Formats: sequence, structure tokens, C-alpha cells
Amino acid sequence: MTATLAPPSAPVTPAPRKARRRTKTGKAGPVTYSLLALFALVSVFPLYWTVVAGSHTNAEIAATPPPFLPNATLFENIDAALEQAPLGLAILNSVIVSGAITVGTVLFCTLAGFAFAKLRFRGNGLLLSLVVGTMMVPTQLAVIPLFMMIAELQWVDQLQAVVLPTLVSAFGVFFMRQYLVSALPDELLEAGRVDGASTHRIFFSIVLPVARPAMAVLAMLTFLTAWNEFFWPIIALTAANPTVQVAIANLGSGYVPQRAVIMAGTLLGTLPVLVVFGVLGKQIVGGIMAGAVKG
Amino acid sequence: MFDHRRGRAAASAAVALALLTAGCGGGSAADGGSADDPITLTMGLYGTFGYEEAGLYEEYMELHPEIRIEQSVVAQSGAYYQALQTRLAAGSGMADVQGIEIGFVADVTANHADAFVDFAAQDNADELEGTFYDWKWDQASTTDGRVIGLGTDAGPQAMCYRQDLFEAAGLPTDPAAVSALWPTWDDYLATGQQYTDSATRQEGSSFVDSPNSVFAPAVRQGDVAYDDEDGNPVVEDSDGVETAWDLASQAADDGLTASLAQFGDDWNAAFSNGAFATIACPSWMLGYITSQMGDEGAGLWNIATLPGQAEAGSTWGGSWLGVPSSGEHVEEATALVEWLTAPEQQVKMFTDGGFFPSSSTAAESPEVADTVSEYFSDAPIGQVFGDAADSVRRTPIGPYDTQIQDAFSAALTTVADGDRTPDEAYTDALNAIEQVVGG
Amino acid sequence: MTLADDSLRTALPVAVPEPVAPPPVDTAAPRRRRARLSENRWGYAYVAPFFLVFGAFSLFPFVFTLWISLHETRLSDIGGGTFVGLDNYAALLGNAYFWNALRNTVTIGVLATVPQLCLALGLAHLLHYKLRGRTFFRVVMLMPYATSIAAATLVFATLFGRDYGLINTGLEAVGLDRIDWESGSLTSQVAIAVIVTWRWTGYNALIYLAAMQSIPDELYEAAEMDGASRWRQFLHVTIPSLRPTILFTVVVSTIGAVQLFGEPLLFAGNGSTTGGARNQYQTLGLLMYQQGWSNFNIGQAATTAWAMFLIILLVVGLAALAGRLRARRTGGTP
Repeated sequence: MTATLAPPSAPVTPAPRKARRRTKTGKAGPVTYSLLALFALVSVFPLYWTVVAGSHTNAEIAATPPPFLPNATLFENIDAALEQAPLGLAILNSVIVSGAITVGTVLFCTLAGFAFAKLRFRGNGLLLSLVVGTMMVPTQLAVIPLFMMIAELQWVDQLQAVVLPTLVSAFGVFFMRQYLVSALPDELLEAGRVDGASTHRIFFSIVLPVARPAMAVLAMLTFLTAWNEFFWPIIALTAANPTVQVAIANLGSGYVPQRAVIMAGTLLGTLPVLVVFGVLGKQIVGGIMAGAVKG
Repeated sequence: MFDHRRGRAAASAAVALALLTAGCGGGSAADGGSADDPITLTMGLYGTFGYEEAGLYEEYMELHPEIRIEQSVVAQSGAYYQALQTRLAAGSGMADVQGIEIGFVADVTANHADAFVDFAAQDNADELEGTFYDWKWDQASTTDGRVIGLGTDAGPQAMCYRQDLFEAAGLPTDPAAVSALWPTWDDYLATGQQYTDSATRQEGSSFVDSPNSVFAPAVRQGDVAYDDEDGNPVVEDSDGVETAWDLASQAADDGLTASLAQFGDDWNAAFSNGAFATIACPSWMLGYITSQMGDEGAGLWNIATLPGQAEAGSTWGGSWLGVPSSGEHVEEATALVEWLTAPEQQVKMFTDGGFFPSSSTAAESPEVADTVSEYFSDAPIGQVFGDAADSVRRTPIGPYDTQIQDAFSAALTTVADGDRTPDEAYTDALNAIEQVVGG
Repeated sequence: MTLADDSLRTALPVAVPEPVAPPPVDTAAPRRRRARLSENRWGYAYVAPFFLVFGAFSLFPFVFTLWISLHETRLSDIGGGTFVGLDNYAALLGNAYFWNALRNTVTIGVLATVPQLCLALGLAHLLHYKLRGRTFFRVVMLMPYATSIAAATLVFATLFGRDYGLINTGLEAVGLDRIDWESGSLTSQVAIAVIVTWRWTGYNALIYLAAMQSIPDELYEAAEMDGASRWRQFLHVTIPSLRPTILFTVVVSTIGAVQLFGEPLLFAGNGSTTGGARNQYQTLGLLMYQQGWSNFNIGQAATTAWAMFLIILLVVGLAALAGRLRARRTGGTP
């Protein structure tokens, strides 16, 4: 980085491993607050609009000016949405699918990430480059033959068709590796070795506790991504056994679409994620930033 | 150690979840055949067939206590067909009964006829054939005579119009008078010009919703629509396409349309806002209008004859029910399909749900022929649509009809928006069609 | 398998790693050798689950798509198909729709990425101040990221509606003309870019923020002592320090932009895969979907998918090259 002139006498503190948040000395002024409030508004508005649109009929929403407040009709529409598409089943399926993907991904990626970070074996670099390279492969590329495989295995319309292909994530491996490279001191591993512990034991009793914050972040991100996964489930599943995104997509292009019902259904599909997000938000935000700094 | 166990727990959780998902999946029919151990027949449908709403499943299950019926519906027929193709490729995962729509029936007869039960080979085939309109029966037939589905509803077309908007513009409102305004499409366009020029018409309203209301009916009123007898696209040599294109692009170019994309958001909202005075309406459009406008619309609409009907009627939409031959309960499913599409049930679907029968027997019955719609200002819909269905001409269909129609419809939109001239748009459409068909 | 469109974008701003350098050889040779042997085995064992699943569900399909692209195949008959060699690729290069989709992808990509990253930078700068309710703001900024693509696009499509959309209503209220967002080339692409920007700005902002917070205060103090204004501090301290992070987000965003599919598909609102009446917002991803799943021409779709991959490879390769050249010129790490 190109630093501006640093007076030679000024003590330069090396960036500590766990960087404490250094805030600029400036205090936020009213301009800052209003701009941030604007951003917050823009971020939340579409979600709010979903609630409003879900409470009014097609004709009402089409009026000028349109209504801006939601009302109790929302619940009727939610009921209607539940009738039109098996949203209850879809949410359950999404929970199962996203949950399975999260558990599997975190597990496999932590294992592989640890191996890439700390275990020495031939081909480490090459395999890692391969993993990173696959991050560039477009989703769509794999869909066609994947679809053939699924058809061969008779997994069409089954949940495992959606779980298994997504079970590993190049990003996940990469993320865990980066985290462990700096967060897991070699000395700790050496100490464990000296004590005679097998690699297996070391993994469970030393690596896992250290990796826990990163695993939590990876779990959260994986869950979110899996929940919102759209392209592949639409191809592999149908209305008979949908995940939430598939069910919502079917709501959205119906024979006689009622915008309100579609919005209500969309809301229902997004709600579980927003709830989890609201509850664990602080952790995720903290996690993202900690991970970024460590990298 | 705590973490050791946690690691193990995580691993077993993953395995458990994998096994759990292996267990979850589409329902499978139980092997049975008695009231205590019923067979479940699954119906894979799209859009709204209306059987559940009309109580037909209940009725059949009462008649046959050893059968249970479950239906699963995909909202959009395009998505439905993609999924169906998947299953046809896999040879598994299909329901006991699958809906087949006009948009892809030609693809099924051309490429997947063997996957479905042949109704022409049934013992009562002749009897079955006699109850349907000949064009409906033919559309589901392959070139060597296999019939892969029995017709459900049909969409014979008329022209719906807003009485109040016509009155405001100084046009007659009585259906007979209105039908007399446009015996041909040229007359229809002339009326449209008259409406548009009228000083007293409602502000912001157009004569027709979209050029597609002209194109879609007109294209099938000639000898040939998009394909030749073998189902190969012959778009450039088709008299139907030529006529329909000239008419529709003129309507678009002259600004007679509200240039809305049919079935889009704005189009839905446009009903309540009185944005257009006429719209080509197949019988199922009546239900659409009713649901979009609600009570406000009662008594505002009426129904006139489709232009050009003296030469040939036109139909839009309509479906069949087919039975995949790989199913576990082919016999029971076939029986169910024959019952659901029998004249008696088709009559009920019309009086209950407004689905016009594809069975001529049903259409000719007094319950249908004498039906009058209060919402549509007491229009004799049974008669209007019956006449239309009777005069439908058999034009050959092909596997790419939906895509071809979409290409024309998109091209017409660009003309209506003023972005392209009719000639430019026509070339665009041909290019798009080549991409679909030739690539 | 990186099935999620988003997974690339969720990658953290870390530079592509060099292979881990092995430590200097220890003098305790025998024990080391034994340890290394067992480590070898465990290393492979630990990456095995990943590579097994990866091999089956990512690598194999990846290679097989190449095979399919050399055939003329229909959706309902994927296994069978006539071998046509490189005809599909030749056809693709001569296909006006391909070039149109490529142009659209580039335009939408630029429209989506550049403002988004600039906004993110500015946002991060604001969040960097001592704030009350800091966590609240940060969580709220991430809400768009948590919303599904389907939901977001549906809502925005309604907002951008020609006759009854909220944005047009607003425009009219301030005396401007209504815009037919969906039917125009630039306008529809702007609308889609807005959706993408809305989704990702907050996320990228937080990434920048984290990186900003690791910039030592001394640098700012030094600059201030030199008389630099806030703005110049931003230009000469903040941005240069963030360069690796910025570069990374640019690359990741670009990869995501080439693959853009969900938003254009859902923007039309009626399931159409043409990307508008004149294909004005059809991206490469959407074109591929149309070819394979609307026109049932899977061979063509596979060819388009491979073209997309090669494009990404090119872009990333150029970026890496640019990074190397710059490093060589400045004589240090980029």
C-alpha cells in the first residue's frame, strides 16, 4: 500500500493479529446519520412494500396514489397463498435441505480447509488451485449433466437431488483455509503432536474449538445461500415437493395471478430467514468483519 | 471430550439428514384396491383445471371407494412441461394422470407418443371419438393414429367488449348490432379506428388490449397456421400468418391497441382501469375477467361474435388428460380420465366453472347450450361459444407453436410501442423463430 | 459444488493464496519422517470427502457439458444426440442473439458493479465514524442480501411497472415523464442493475469497512499533520490501503455479473425467457436457459455455458495479469 509520509519518529504499531476496531477520530455528524438513514430506508423498503402489497387487492394496488400502509387483509392472503402452493411443505423442505447442506458443507469444508492450511501433503497447492478455479465455473455449466445424473439415479423431485450437489462449496474450503492459516498457531499443533495425539484427535480437540467462530459464520452464510438457491431446485424439483423458492416461483406466474397472494407467499418464504438473521445478525456481521481482517 | 463428541454428533447429524432426505420425496401409490386399502391416483396438472373446485374428485371417490385422488398443480404450464420432459427423459417420476396443454401436445404426439396410453386402442375407442369435436380429437393424435389424451376443455373464441365504453364512444351496445359491425377483421379494424377517433370516448382507453387479440385468433382462421400436416414449421408460406400479421401489425401501428403485454402485471391492472374496450376472449377468459374486476365489472361486459367466424372459428387454449403408460395403476387411471372427460362431467365443468367442453355432445346438451351469463349482461354464452366451436377449422399444429407465437407476439409489442416498423418487426420475428426451430 | 449463484460473491476479500511453503527440515529426522508420512495420509483423507462430492457433482458435469456441446441434443433425449463436432460453437459465434446477450451482460455488469462498489465504499466510510446504533445499521444493510432473488425481483418489477409502478408515479409527481422501464434497452438494464446493486451494496460495504478498520490511525494522523483534508486523506490513505480488497471485490462481482440469470428471468413477470420483446435484457445466463429449457435445444445451451466459462477465465486471467504487471512495475505486492 502506498502510505503517505510517516514521520520517522512516529512509532509504527504492527497490525495486531486480532485487530481492535480502530475508528477514525471523527464523530458522526447529522449528514452522516441522514445518509445512513436513507440507505437503511432503501434497504428495507422493498421488504416493507412486500407487506403492503400483500394486504391489498390487484385493483387497490394499481390505484394512483397507491396505498402505503398494510392492513389485516395480509393474513387472509397468507392463508390463500398457503392454499395455492404448499408453502408449509416448502418451508419444511427448505429447512431440511438448507440444514443438511449447512451441516455437510461446514463439516467437509472444515476438514478440507484444515488439511489445506496445516497438513503437509503432496499436491496441496495444486488441489487448492483447482478448488479456487472452480469458483469461476458458472452454475449453469453443471446443470445439464447434473440433471442427467439425477434422472439416472431416479432422484428427480427428491430432496437429495438438491442437497448432494451443493454439499461442498469451493468458497467454504477457501474460507476455512484462510481462517485456519492465521488463526491456528503452528505451535499449538506441534504441542499436540508432541503429546502424541493423532491427527484425528488434534482435529477434534484443538482445531474445532479454534475454528468455531468461522464455522458459525460459514454455517450462517451457507444456510442463507442454500435457502435462496433458485436455479437448480427449479429444475430438479416440482410443485409436488418444492423448496420455498420453487413454491414462490410457481406462485409468481399463475393463470390468474393475484399480486397480493404472491406477495404474501413471498413474505412467508422470506420470513424464517429474516428472523434467523435478525437474531444472529450481530454474530454474522462480527464474523464477516473478523474474517476479513484476518485475511 | 466435549468437542470430540460434538464432532461426532455433527457427523451423525449429517448422515441422519442425508438418510432423512432420501426418505422424503414424492408420494408413491399404495398397492391396494379396496375401500380399506385404497389405491391413490395422482394427477399432475397446471394452471386451473377446476376439477377439485367442482367437486368431481369427491364424486368419483364416492362412486369408487377403492380409489383416492390427489392432485399436484404447477402454476405455469411452461414450467410444468419442462418438468414433464425431465420425467419423460428419466422414465420415472410421473403422476398417474398428466395434463397436456395445446402448447405442447404436438411435441408429445411427435416425440413421446409411446410414453402414453393409446386411447384409440381402447375397446370403446369409437364411442369416445364420437363424443369429442373432431379437431380436438385430431390434435391429440399422432400421424399413425395413436391418441394420447382425452380432451378436457376447449377455448372457442368470441370478442368481448365493454358496453359502457362503446356507448361513450357512440358505438352500438347490443350484441347483435356489435357483431354486425365486424363480420370481417377489416371491419373490426375500421370500427377500431372509429372508436379511436371518437371525440367522446373515455379518456385513456384504447380499442383493444393488445395486437395479440387480433393475431392469435386470426392466425388459425386460414388453411395453414404455423405448420404443415407433418408438424414442420412453414411460417413464411402460411396464409394464416400472412393475414394475421398484416391485420395485427396494422392495429398496432395505427395505435388502436393499449400495447399491453398479455398476462403481465400492467395488463391485469388494466382491466379495472378501463384501459381497453375489446379483447379477444376464449371461453376461459370470462373467468379471468370476472376475477380481475370483481363485482365492479358485473354488467359492464358483453360478448359478440369473433370477426371472420363465418369463414372459420378459432380456439385458444384447451387441454387433454393423458395416462403415462409407465404408471403403476394404468387401468384405474384410464378409467378416471374417461370419466372426468365424459360429456356429463364436461357439462358440469361448464355450468360450475365456465370451462367450455371439448365434447361436442356436452356442448349440444341443453344445459350448456342454454346457459346465460348474468355477469356478462345475460349473454347466451353456451350458444355463442358453441357456434364458435362448431366452426373451428382443423389447422395443423406443431411442437414449436408456443415459441413461434411468442416470437410474433413479442414482435407485435415492439410495433405497438413504436420501437419498430411492421416490416422490421416481422424480420425480427422470423429471426427469433429460426433460432428456436433451426438451431 | 458452487451451485449457488451467490457463493462466489460471498468469498471474502483475501488474495488468491500461494501454496503453503513447507517449514525448514527439522533435525529430528526419524520422527519427522514418521510424522510426515502419517500427515500425508491424513491430508488426503481430510480432503477426500470434499473431492469425492466435488468430483461427482462438479467436475464430472463440468467435463460432460463439454461433451454435450459437441452434439445436437434435445431436452427429453439427453443421452442420445448426433455428434456435430464444433458446429455448435461455430453457430454460436454467428448467432446474433449470443452477441446481443454478451453486450447486455457487459452493460448490465458495468451498470451494476461500478456504482455498487462506489456506493459500498462511501457507505463504509460513513459507517467508519463513531456511530450510535452501529450494529443496527450494519445489520439493516445486510437485509437485502438475506432476501431471496425471487422476492427482490418481484418487488422491483412491480415498482418499475409502466402504468402502475411506484417509481413512475413518483416521476410523474415531480413533473417528469413516465418511463417504460421494461421495454427500453437502457432502462430495463438500469432497472436490473438497480436490483443487483440493492442486493450487494451493503455486503460489500461491510467488507470494505472491516478492511478500513485495520488501517492504522498513524497513517491518518501523519496525513493530517501534513495538512491533508478529509477528502485527500480518503484518496491517499484509505483507498490505497484498500486496494487489494477493492481488486478482490471487483473480480468477484465481475464473475457474478457474467453469470447473472435470476433477475433478468423474473423481471419480465410472465415466465418469458427472452429477456424482453427485443431481448433487450437477456444475459448470457438467461440465453442459455432459453436455449436449453424453452427451445429444448440442450446442445446449444451447453455451448453457451462453456462460452460463459471461457469469458470468465479470460476476465480473471486479465485481472491477474494486470495485477502481476503492476506488481512488477511498483516492485512490491499489488
